Amino acid sequence: MSVMKLNVIDLEKSEYTGGKSSLCPGCGHDQISKIIIQAAWENGISPEGIAKMSGIGCSSKTPAYFLGKSHGFNTVHGRMPSVTTGASMANKSLSFIAVSGDGDTASIGIGQFIHAIRRNLDMVYIIENNGVYGLTKGQYSATVEKGSKKKKGTMNEQPPIDLCAMAINLGCSFVARSFSGSKKQLTALIRAAMGHRGMAVIDVISPCVTFANNDESYKSYNYVKENDEVLHMLDYIPHFTPIEEVDIPEGEYDDIQMFDGSTLRLETVGDDHDPSDAVSALSAIHHAEKENKHVTGLLYYDDSMQTADEELGLTETPLSALSEAELRPSEAELASINAAFRGA
Amino acid sequence: MEKQETMERICNDFTINIATANGTGSQSANLIVLNSMFQMGVPVSGKNLFPSNISGLPTWFIIRASDRGYQAPGDKAHIQVLMNKDTWQKDLAGLESGTVVIYNEDVKLPVDRDDCPSFGMPMTKMARGINPKLARLMCNMYYVGALAHLLDIDDAAISNALERQFKGKEKAIELNLRAIGEGRTYAEENWEGGIPYCVEARDKNPDAFLVEGNEAVALGSIFGGINMLSWYPITPSSSLAESIIEWLPKLREGDDGGATCAVIQAEDELAAAGMVIGAGWAGGRGMTCTSGPGISLMSEFIGLAYFAEVPGVIWDVNRVGPSTGLPTRTQQGDLSMLYEASHGDTQHIVLIPGTVDECFEYGWRAFDYAERFQTIVFGFSDLDLGMNRWSTAGFQYPDSPMDRGKVLRTQDELDAVANYGRYRDVDGDGIPYRTLPGSGLDPVLYRGTGHDEDGVYSEDPDVYYATVSRLRRKIDGARDLLPAPVVREEEEQQIGVIYYGSVENSITEIDDMLESTGLSVSTCRVRALPYHSEVEGFIERHDKVIVLEINRDGQLYGILRKELPVDLLPRLHSVAYTDGIPPRARVYADKILEVLEVTA
Ligand SMILES: Cc1ncc(C[n+]2csc(CCOP(=O)(O)OP(=O)(O)O)c2C)c(N)n1
Ligand code: SF4
Ligand SMILES: [Mg+2]
Repeated sequence: MSVMKLNVIDLEKSEYTGGKSSLCPGCGHDQISKIIIQAAWENGISPEGIAKMSGIGCSSKTPAYFLGKSHGFNTVHGRMPSVTTGASMANKSLSFIAVSGDGDTASIGIGQFIHAIRRNLDMVYIIENNGVYGLTKGQYSATVEKGSKKKKGTMNEQPPIDLCAMAINLGCSFVARSFSGSKKQLTALIRAAMGHRGMAVIDVISPCVTFANNDESYKSYNYVKENDEVLHMLDYIPHFTPIEEVDIPEGEYDDIQMFDGSTLRLETVGDDHDPSDAVSALSAIHHAEKENKHVTGLLYYDDSMQTADEELGLTETPLSALSEAELRPSEAELASINAAFRGA
Repeated sequence: MEKQETMERICNDFTINIATANGTGSQSANLIVLNSMFQMGVPVSGKNLFPSNISGLPTWFIIRASDRGYQAPGDKAHIQVLMNKDTWQKDLAGLESGTVVIYNEDVKLPVDRDDCPSFGMPMTKMARGINPKLARLMCNMYYVGALAHLLDIDDAAISNALERQFKGKEKAIELNLRAIGEGRTYAEENWEGGIPYCVEARDKNPDAFLVEGNEAVALGSIFGGINMLSWYPITPSSSLAESIIEWLPKLREGDDGGATCAVIQAEDELAAAGMVIGAGWAGGRGMTCTSGPGISLMSEFIGLAYFAEVPGVIWDVNRVGPSTGLPTRTQQGDLSMLYEASHGDTQHIVLIPGTVDECFEYGWRAFDYAERFQTIVFGFSDLDLGMNRWSTAGFQYPDSPMDRGKVLRTQDELDAVANYGRYRDVDGDGIPYRTLPGSGLDPVLYRGTGHDEDGVYSEDPDVYYATVSRLRRKIDGARDLLPAPVVREEEEQQIGVIYYGSVENSITEIDDMLESTGLSVSTCRVRALPYHSEVEGFIERHDKVIVLEINRDGQLYGILRKELPVDLLPRLHSVAYTDGIPPRARVYADKILEVLEVTA
C-alpha cells in the first residue's frame, strides 16, 4: 500500500483538484491551475475557506478545474472584482483566489480592476495573460506588445497596457509577474500571495497555444523562455516550517514577511531589486519593455496598507453570520425614531 | 388690517406656487411654510420642481392645502410668489385672473397684472439690513412672513417649523425668525386689502409627521438587516443612500463597536450591482439604489442573478427618461424595464410602494423576498415619492421575523434534504436550496452559463428548458405572496381604475372628479409585480378598466395585456401621460374621461 502524501492539515492533494479541463491541450492556463492546486495544498489552506472567483474567458473557466471543494463564482466579463468586493464585505473570513484574463482585466474590466486595487481588497488576483482573447478566437488584447504578432493577422502597432506598472502606480500592496512555464517561481509567488493580507496581483504570462504561440508572438513559450529577466530566485517558507531549519542561501538574499507569518525569500541574481521601492520596480518594467523582454518576480510589496474591510471598520463576525438580533434594531429604537420625527 | 367682511373666505383649499432660483436657500423657506401649516393640522403637500443644476436655474415649490386631503399639485396657483427674475414674466403671464401675487420689489421688474391683487415688499433690502452677506439667502424668509400674515399662520407654528429646519443652529434660528417677523410686520403695516385664502387650524393627528420616501426606504432597509450598501450617486436616489449612511452609526453598531453594514461608493452602477450579487452569494443582505440610467448599466448583472439565483435588492427611484431625460423630474417610465431587465427571458419581482409607510415596509421586506426567492427584488419608487415629503402616522415595526430563505447551514440540514442539488426543485415550488461559500457544504461553481440541477455546466437542450421553465414557475409562485393590491370598490362595478406607486397622491382627487360626472369608480392600486391574482379579480368585476400611469406608453397596461386571459383584454384601456410634473388630477381625470367617451 502506497503512503498518501498529506499536507499540514492532513489532506491529500486530491482534495484540492477540480474537474477535467476543456481548454486546448498545452494551454498555459492549465499549467497555472495545477500550480494553484499545488500552492493551496502545500500551504495547507482548508479548501472550504477558499472562494474562487473569475470573469469570462478561457482563463476564467479554470476555477472549474481546480479546488473542487471550494465554492466559486464564474461571474460576467470583466466584472469579477465587484462581485468579489461584495462577497468579501459579506464574509471577510473567506480567502479569495481570483482568475482573470488579459481581455477580462485590461479591457472590459479595467475600471473594476483599478478600483479593487484602490480599495486594497483582500484577494489574490491572477491574470492569465496571453495577449489575445482566447475564447472569442484570438483577437488582440490590450496587453499585447508593440511589434508582437499573433499567428494570424497583422502585427500589433499599439503600445501595451502593463498591468503590473499600473497596479504599482495605484499603490497595490503586492505586485508580481511570472510565467506559466516557471513552476517554481509561480508556486512561490502564489503561496506568498495567499499569505498576504490585501490585494495581491500576479500577472502571469500564459501562452495561448492556439492563437499566439508562434515565435513572433512575445507571449509564446519560446519567446518568453528566451526573454525572461528574472529579478531574483524565490523560495517560500510557510509559517509552519521553522525558518531556522531552512538552508541559508550562499549568496545575498532578502526575507519578506507575509501577514500569515510565512516568508518569501528573495535570492539576488544579478542586480539587486528592492521590492519596497516602487520607482525601481517601474524602472525594471520600463527597461524590460524597451528591450522587448519580460521582467518576472516580486516587483512591489507594501505591507502597511489597510484593507477594505479594515477601513470600513467592520465588526469581527463576518456580516453574513450575524443574527437577526444583531441586524434588526429593536422596536424601542423605531419608537424613538418616530418620536424624533414628531419633534417630541 | 381687517379682512374684508364681504370677501368669501376660502380656508385650507388653495395652492401656493413659489418661484425662486436654485441654490438661493429658498428650500428652507419653503419647508418652513409647509411645515408650519402641517403643525397647525392643515392637510398639506409640498412638491419641489427643481432643475438639474446646483445654482441659478429656476425652481418652483408648490404647496397644496386641502381639507379633502388632495395632495396632487393643484391645477392652478391661487397664490403666486415671485422671487426669480428669469421666470418672472412667464410666471405672471400664466396666472389666472384673481391670483394673489406676492413679489420681491428689489427684483425691479414690473407686475403688470391689474386683474391680480399684488403685494410687493423690498425683501432683499430688508434682508441686507439684518446681514448684508446673507441677504441673498435670507430674503426668502420675507415671503414666509408675508404668507404668515396673509394666510393667518400661527406664530407658534412658524417658530416650531423654523426650529425643525435649523435644528439647534441658534444663530440661524434667531436671524431667520427676525426676518420672518419683519416680513410679517411689513405686510401688516403696508399692504391694504386682504385675500380670500386662509389657513384654519385642524385637530392634528399628534402622531403624524412628514418624511421623504427615500428616508423611509433607508430606515426600512436598516430594519431589514442590510449588510452591504453599494451605490453610485444619481438624482433622485442619492438621498436614499445618504440617509442610510446617516442612520447606520446610530442603529447598527456591532457588539464590538464595529459596523454591521459595509457601505461602498462604487466606481459605477455596474460595480454597484456586482457588489450586491457578491454579497448575496456570500450570504449577506446586499442592496443598491439608483435611477433608470443605473438600471440600464446593471442589466447584465441582473440577468446573472436571475439565472444563477442569487438574492439582492435594487431600488430604482425613477426619474424622467429616456437617456439623461429630465433628470430632476418624476415619471413611472422604468416599470417594464425592471420587470424584464437583462437579455434572454427574465422576470423580476418588483415592489411598488405608494406611501411612505410602504416605503419603510418594502425597505425591509425586499430582503426577505430576495432571500426567499433567491433572486433580485426591485423596489420601485420615483422622484415625487422619494424626494418630496409625505405624511405618516409613524413607521410600523416589522411584523414578521427575517426570512433568510432556503439556506442550508449545517451538514445535518444538508443531509435532511433528500437528493440535494443546488438547482434541484426538491419542494415543488421552483425554489431550490443553497449552501454558502465558506461552509464547505456541497460546494458549487456558480455561473451564468447553462447548468444542470447539480450546478454542473450543461448545454443539454432539455436541461436548459427545464431550468428556465422552473425559474418561470419560481417567480410566478411569488404572485400571491407579494403585497396584495389595495382595492376601493364601489357597489356599482362600472369603472375600475388600476394604478400604482405615487399616483396614490393624486387618486382621491381624480376619483372625485370622475364621480362628479356621475360615474361610479372603483380603484385598485397594484403594489407588486408579478401582479397578484386579486388584480385579475378586480378586472373581472368591472365593465371597463382604466390603467392609469405616469409614462407615455402604458407600461403596466402592456404587462397586463401580456399576462391576462385574452377574454379580459377588451375591458382594459390605457391612460398614460407624462410631462415630468407630478400628476395633476385635472389632466389625468380629463384623459380618463376622453378614453371613456371614445370607448363608450
Ligand atoms: C459583455 C460581454 N462582451 C463580450 C463577451 C465575449 N467574450 C467572451 S471571452 C472574451 C475575451 C476573453 O479574453 P481574455 O480575458 O483575455 O481571456 P482568454 O480567453 O484569453 O483566457 C470576450 C470578448 C462576453 N462574454 N461578455
Ligand atoms: S484558445 Fe488559447 S487561451 Fe483558450 S484554451 Fe485554447 S490555448 Fe488556451
Ligand atoms: Mg487572454
